[in-house]
Amino acid sequence: MAQVLMVDDSSTVRNEVCDFLKSNGLTVTPAIDGKDGLDKLRADPAIRLVISDVNMPNMDGLTMAEKIRGELKNAAVHVIMLTTENSPAMKERGKAAGIKGWIVKPFNGGAVLATLKKLVTA
Amino acid sequence: MREGNSVVSKVLVLDDADVHFASLKAFCDECGLIGIRPQQKSMSRIMAILKSNVDLGGILLYEHFGARTGGGIELAREIHASRPELPLFLRRDGVANVAGLNEKDAAMFRCAYTLADLQHLRVTLEASIFSRVYPTDLVRGITEMTRASLQTLFANCDIDVETPYLVKDRIIYGEVFTLIAIESHWCRGYMMFQAEEDALMGVVRRGAGEEGEAMTFRELNSVLGETTNLVWGSFKNRYVGHETASLSQTQVPIIINHQRRFISFGSDDPQLCLKYTLRERDYPDAPPTPIYQRFVFNLNWSPDQLRENPSVESLFDSGELELF
Repeated sequence: MAQVLMVDDSSTVRNEVCDFLKSNGLTVTPAIDGKDGLDKLRADPAIRLVISDVNMPNMDGLTMAEKIRGELKNAAVHVIMLTTENSPAMKERGKAAGIKGWIVKPFNGGAVLATLKKLVTA
Repeated sequence: MREGNSVVSKVLVLDDADVHFASLKAFCDECGLIGIRPQQKSMSRIMAILKSNVDLGGILLYEHFGARTGGGIELAREIHASRPELPLFLRRDGVANVAGLNEKDAAMFRCAYTLADLQHLRVTLEASIFSRVYPTDLVRGITEMTRASLQTLFANCDIDVETPYLVKDRIIYGEVFTLIAIESHWCRGYMMFQAEEDALMGVVRRGAGEEGEAMTFRELNSVLGETTNLVWGSFKNRYVGHETASLSQTQVPIIINHQRRFISFGSDDPQLCLKYTLRERDYPDAPPTPIYQRFVFNLNWSPDQLRENPSVESLFDSGELELF
């Protein structure tokens, strides 16, 4: 039963973030794109936090966030985007989809760990 | 280097004019050219040099190269057959034109010139190698963001970058390369990273420590892919407007010939090339590893419309969480 779902098509980023979160006491499930992320979220109700890239094949991260609130009707899980994207339009779309926060890559675990832990337990 | 321009180009100089070497070198410096001269003048040696230099802007060639009458013309035929994208500039002793050459041979050269009058060569170089201007601020910005991205992925390395240069070559360096589209209201094209698999694999493995032993080319692909993604994102955030302008849907086929390690985007315009060198701090004896970055704006290039976005990272640095 994972607390965090880590969604990124890049295995380099996925492994880096998963390893960091695991080494700090969190349970993490990886997913390779938005479609895989939705499937994993459906299968594991214990997930409290989704960290997701935006630009991915098959289904992008913002579409996945919209489907989490829409199709899955899951308002409890927190969604944070971890992406190279930084455009106001994308962030507005994310806000409308109910995402909780935005991190511009590269990932700096130390700077965000405390907040991520709070979101997992909130 | 030409005043106000930070971009140079590498040219292969196949010329016997040792007595005029100083003036030829001064001319190259003035024109923003980095000249490469072969140690040996045999055709096989020169073709080997061409094979290992896949980032040239052109070739300056003497008609009687190698102290053989017409030796340069024979060589030009070989070069033109294998690398037709490289512009050839012919130096002659008497006349600054292609008079006396047959039509097919004459067509190989962008111009003919003499050492007594280099102005014609200068104008032709500008028109062929330096036909596209890459704004200095843009080139500097690309260099900064790429070094920062490489540093993130290759934290165990010091990273140097050479002076950016223009290439006419279409040959792919190494065995692994990434390609990503860049779309904006002022430019449309592609960015590439190219590297040698074994060399970069060594850097990735050593950087990962014990885990590195189990790594395969797939991990290398992922690292180079993420490097590309980081630079692409930085480029968009800095240079691509956030307005939702409707973009052209024009496309042209990209042609890749694996046998010849050749890639064409359908445009003859010079590509912007930057060479980064990774040096592993913990392995000073390991050979430096080059990574080439190329930009090909083959679908649109209107740098006069380039506007750098105001920094949105002043409130939140990269890696930090912006809560909504």
